[in-house]
Amino acid sequence: MINTSEIDNSIESAAQNIAHHDESDNRMFGFIIFLLSESVVFLGFFIGYYVYKTNAVDWLPAGVSGLEIREPAINTVILVSSSFVIYIAERCLRQQNLWGFRFFWLLTMLMGSYFLYGQIIEWQGLKFGFTSGLFGGTFYLLTGFHGLHVLTGVLLQSLMLIRSFIPGNYDKGEFGVEATSLFWHFVDVIWIILFLLLYVWQ
Amino acid sequence: MTNISIPEIDIDTNRSHEPEDWRRFFGFSTDHKVIGIQYIVTAFFFFLVGGVFAMIIRGELLTPESDLVDRTVYNAMFTMHGTVMLFLWTFPVLAGLANYLVPLMIGARDMAFPRLNAIAFWMIPIFGIVLIGSFLVPGGPAQSGWWSYPPVSLQNPSGNLINGQFLWLLAIVLSGISSILGAINIVTTIFRMRAPGMTWFRMPVFVWAVLSAQIIQLFGLPALTAGAVLLLCDLVAGTSFYDPAKGGDPVLFQHFFWFYSHPAVYVIILPVFGIFSELFPVYARKPLFGYKVVAVSSLIITGLSAVVWVHHMFASGTPGWMRMLFMFTTMLISVPTGIKVFAWVGTIWGGKLRLDTPMLFAMGGLVMFVFSGITGIMLAAVPVDIHVNNTYFVVGHFHYVIYGATVMGIYAALYHWFPKMTGRMYNEGLGKLHFALTFLGTNLNFFPMHPLGLQGMPRRVASYDPEFAFWNVIASLGGFLLGMSTLPFLVNIVGSWVQGKKVSANPWRAIGLEWLIASPPPHENFEELPIVVAEPYGYGMNEPLVSNADKL
Amino acid sequence: MKKQTILTLAIAAIGIAAISWWVGQESYTWFPPQASAESILIDRLFSVLVTIGSFVFLGVVGALIYAVLFQQAGKYESGDGPPIEGNIPLEIVWTAIPFVLVMGIAFYSYKIYDQMEIRGPMEHDHSAAMVMSGSGDEIEVIAKQWAWEFRYPAQKVTSTELHLPVNQRAHLILKAQDVIHGFYIPAFRLKQDMIPGQAGNFEFTPILAGKYRLRDSQYSGTYFAAMQANVVVEPAADYQNWLRRSAATTPAIAHNTAFAEYNQKSTRAGWKTIVPAAPPIVNYSNPND
Repeated sequence: MINTSEIDNSIESAAQNIAHHDESDNRMFGFIIFLLSESVVFLGFFIGYYVYKTNAVDWLPAGVSGLEIREPAINTVILVSSSFVIYIAERCLRQQNLWGFRFFWLLTMLMGSYFLYGQIIEWQGLKFGFTSGLFGGTFYLLTGFHGLHVLTGVLLQSLMLIRSFIPGNYDKGEFGVEATSLFWHFVDVIWIILFLLLYVWQ
Repeated sequence: MTNISIPEIDIDTNRSHEPEDWRRFFGFSTDHKVIGIQYIVTAFFFFLVGGVFAMIIRGELLTPESDLVDRTVYNAMFTMHGTVMLFLWTFPVLAGLANYLVPLMIGARDMAFPRLNAIAFWMIPIFGIVLIGSFLVPGGPAQSGWWSYPPVSLQNPSGNLINGQFLWLLAIVLSGISSILGAINIVTTIFRMRAPGMTWFRMPVFVWAVLSAQIIQLFGLPALTAGAVLLLCDLVAGTSFYDPAKGGDPVLFQHFFWFYSHPAVYVIILPVFGIFSELFPVYARKPLFGYKVVAVSSLIITGLSAVVWVHHMFASGTPGWMRMLFMFTTMLISVPTGIKVFAWVGTIWGGKLRLDTPMLFAMGGLVMFVFSGITGIMLAAVPVDIHVNNTYFVVGHFHYVIYGATVMGIYAALYHWFPKMTGRMYNEGLGKLHFALTFLGTNLNFFPMHPLGLQGMPRRVASYDPEFAFWNVIASLGGFLLGMSTLPFLVNIVGSWVQGKKVSANPWRAIGLEWLIASPPPHENFEELPIVVAEPYGYGMNEPLVSNADKL
Repeated sequence: MKKQTILTLAIAAIGIAAISWWVGQESYTWFPPQASAESILIDRLFSVLVTIGSFVFLGVVGALIYAVLFQQAGKYESGDGPPIEGNIPLEIVWTAIPFVLVMGIAFYSYKIYDQMEIRGPMEHDHSAAMVMSGSGDEIEVIAKQWAWEFRYPAQKVTSTELHLPVNQRAHLILKAQDVIHGFYIPAFRLKQDMIPGQAGNFEFTPILAGKYRLRDSQYSGTYFAAMQANVVVEPAADYQNWLRRSAATTPAIAHNTAFAEYNQKSTRAGWKTIVPAAPPIVNYSNPND
């Protein structure tokens, strides 16, 4: 009696493992599709920006000579390096080093938050608004839409951080952590393109 | 096999508390079959709503003067007719069919993400209410056509922030999110949930077609979303993206819009191609002619659909080189489509035809599709398009696509899989009556639009010159007939669902995984996952489709 | 294949071809009169497309009808048809022929388009300079919600009716003032969207004297359907006469359907609309509009 139920249990847990694993793979597959699809929204905005910029008669609003590049460059370095930090955090989790994971994960969050802070500071110092012609419109739309993604990333990260305190929760790896990390890299790549378009190409 | 069959027992016990009677259709079910039927029934409700709008349009066009409804009301009617028919009827009903059939056809127990599936469905009634609710806001619903071209869509005579156009945009964005969630789910399911032995070239063509269609959603919808966000900013925040008075570019919106909305036609028609490919072999008792080519041609259409959108803008201030380039790409798309048409004729030819209702609808749909394909090539030719662009010729063309081929194909599918979905048979006599009325009504309604367009009657007009009256009266009568034609269908479906004759697992003697299990299928579809050993259309070949048929 | 089958098919193909040719010839009668040089080219292209299209349509539908008539299963017959899964040569043929066919159609359309010499709107930048140095007979077409107005700057004439001399190339400058409108004269088979802020050049040659309709072809809001005007094509002498007479007339307020309808109390319930622009004040307007 005991023997068979034990065997049943072990088979069942093995089966559950397979099922869990499979489902998590499905979710990753689905999430990657989602990111590919999402990137087309950005692509649309980028193309719009390109068309406006190359065709506009009065691109810059009156009294604006261009964008200050120094602060955003620092911001960029921070955001881009956070992609490496989140990678270290993920590796820690894979090695079952939960505290290492939490440390680097939190560091990523701080870097992301600093980026957002820097963005807000930059916005406050600008002499043009959302409705200041095509330049103002596209600038705030692109940075704002990207900023929304950074914010989403930070919120997802804090959720994953909290969930790491549930005992045994991340023992078998965690889809949420992997997905958040992938999302973060995605947001980063988008920012690099955005930075080149908005600040470098003036 | 053991390690595969065990987790299902586990899942079964987890989910058995869900109610199994009619009530499950009104709750947050995660069963793909329930969700599929929820999609279909909800969509059909909105089909009737969009049909009422169409009746009002045709009523106004009975006479040359604008005398039935106010012009603003008329403009709201054709705007809402187009929006409802596309976003609340054709997309959802096809999503419903895909939801119901794809897991069954590939041998899966459910979709990859059942809860996401339910969420995607429940967004439909929500944005449906938002859209229809826009009749109640001051200023009325959107009146800028379903294209919503700026600057007309940016004009806001009511002066309110919450106006019809705003709610329209909100509904479209919600619809887009719902469709993206659905697309992710279906694509993941097809890629990762196929039964053992279900290789790519053993998948039914319907699955290929659905996959091709959903890939279009994934790359097309985000572009529309980007364009809609800019429009929303202009409308609400006062930016100048599309406002020519402030340096904006209204034509850019047209590019965003058509980059999605032309491929959207393929999102609609590809599953219908799939339906045709499933039905003709069953009712002609022959394998699908050139199965592999037909399957792959769907993907080719997906690829080409991304590079044809400018043909909607031949008259929109498009430079000559662009007109020529997109004329060639548009012409190319008729090649994979032609392959399919000839393959269906090849399938039917020399078979042993059974003209049951589904076959009648499928063949009627095929005839009208061929007609619309020919007018489509005329429209692709730039010089002809310059004349008939934005006239009733275009309206006639795409109604042959969308009603003649798509709605007929959907009806064919509903009759064909009705016994599978309900376990009961529909009434054949009412079905044939329905077919006769629909076929006649469609042609009476939409054929007259072609001569009208050639004569130069623009679309979207509430009044017209008296010389156009003759064909308009015929079109209106056809429209009313078409409205009436839904009655035998409704009577048939409701009546047969309640007290139709019970059927076996496979009343059509069709080949396919869904026909190997009970009607209606049990909760998790398959007792044991099927092991597929053959291509999907083995009619006349006496070979088994699966190696474990008795264990399903 | 048996000899008899080939013969039957050949006869069927010839029959269908004959009918298609006839339909193609008939197609010329489906249009308004050919009032511009361009319309002749377009109608010819359309006729070719109708002929080819009829052949394909009748071929496919003929095959289906034949199958329905002669290949139905008996009432109690439950056997299957022959298990033919495909035919590679046949599939190659029916891929290659449509490919060649549509590419041929595209090239032919390209040639026709080339002959039409329509000046696309994107070419307006350099042609604007050309207009300056032009012969001075450009006509400005003004579209606004919901009225057409035509200006002849050289003769200082304004009108709500477009007058054109027959057999002379017409040069128009299209200007939309508020939203996108479409300049469309069915009898000329010509159409061009008018984008606000972008003056577009448009050229064509009227070849048949008469009175035609100009319609707005791009949906422009509430009174879109009412936005029509007359186009009068007349011999050069009459045209010059008309210009002289109009220039001598004092400008007066023209009748405008949208404006009149808006100011008329309507009994039907509607929503708030954009207010129509005031009717144009012009030298010439036809009171019977």
